[in-house]
Amino acid sequence: MEKKILSEQLLIFSDVVMPKGFEIDQDKLMADTIESSLTNKEFPFSRTWDMLNIYIREHIGVEYKIKLANKKTWSDTYKPNTLSEPLLNINHSNLGDSPDFTTLYGTKVSNCWIKIYYDDNRRKGKSWNIELKENMFIMFPSSNIYTISNEQKDSLNFIQTITYTYS
Amino acid sequence: MAHFAKIGINGKVLQVVTVDNNDLMDSNNVENEKVGQQYLQLHSNWPAELWIQTSYNTINNTHRSGGTALRGNYAGIGCIWDEDNQIFWPKKPYASWIKNTTTAGWESPIGNAPAITAEQQADESNVYHYSWNEENQTWDLGTSAPINIVVDE
Repeated sequence: MEKKILSEQLLIFSDVVMPKGFEIDQDKLMADTIESSLTNKEFPFSRTWDMLNIYIREHIGVEYKIKLANKKTWSDTYKPNTLSEPLLNINHSNLGDSPDFTTLYGTKVSNCWIKIYYDDNRRKGKSWNIELKENMFIMFPSSNIYTISNEQKDSLNFIQTITYTYS
Repeated sequence: MAHFAKIGINGKVLQVVTVDNNDLMDSNNVENEKVGQQYLQLHSNWPAELWIQTSYNTINNTHRSGGTALRGNYAGIGCIWDEDNQIFWPKKPYASWIKNTTTAGWESPIGNAPAITAEQQADESNVYHYSWNEENQTWDLGTSAPINIVVDE
C-alpha cells in the first residue's frame, strides 16, 4: 500500500527571532501604516520592512525548501472589539496574477485572533484559530478565507500583510 | 570573488553571497574577512559576526586545487555552522552518524563501508555497492544491473 499527498494546506507560524541590535522596528512599521493610510498610498519600502521580508523568505526557504517571490504588501489597523470581514487574497477571475501565500505579521497586537477557513474533503467550512502575537508571523495559502479579530478593548492592532508567489 | 555565508540565530546557513574581492581590502590592501563582514553588515542589515567567509573550493577539509582548505566545506543553504570547530557541516545523513572533524564529514558509527573487492569489481553482470542500514547499524551489500551505454557513431 502506498500513499501520495496530491495537495496540502501548509500553515507555518513562528516568532521573528532577529539578532540582537537588528530587531524589527515595530514603531517604524506602525508609523508607515498610519502614513500610508492617511495619504492613501502604497505601504512604503523601508529598511525594517526589508529585514522582516528577507527573514521570512530565507527561513521558509531553509526550513521548507519553498522559494518565495514577493507579490504585494500592505498594513491594516483593527479597532478594539472588532471582527474583520472575511478576507481572501486571490482573485478567482485572475488566478494567474494571484499570490500563493499570505503572511500576517503582528506589528503591534494584543489579543488578536486569526481564523483560517479550509475544506477537508467533503467537510466544508472547517476553521482553525490561532492567536497572532507581537513579532510573530503566520503564513497560509492565499486560497484560504480568513478573519481577523481584535478581542481586547483598549487599543488598535497593527498587522502587516505580505503576499508571496512561488519563485 | 569571495563567498560569505549568512548564519541564522540557530546556526543554520540562510544564504551564501559573493563579494567582490575589492570589498575585502583593508588599509594595507590585503584581503581581510572582517572588512567583508563589515561591508555585508552595512549592505544587508545582518550583523557582521553572522557573515562567515566560506571557500567554494573546499570540500571535506580539502582544497580542490591543492590550496588551503577553509572551514571544512563550502557552505550551502541549510548547512550548520560549527563555531567551535570552525566547520560548515552538511545535513546529517543518518541519526546515528557522527562528526569527523578531520575530514569535516559525517561517518557511520562503524566507519566507512567496506571496499568493493577485486572479485566483485570483475563481475560484469552485477554492480556492487554498499548502503547504510540505519535500523541494523550495518553496511548492506547490494547489487544492480550494469548500465550499458551504446554510442552510435
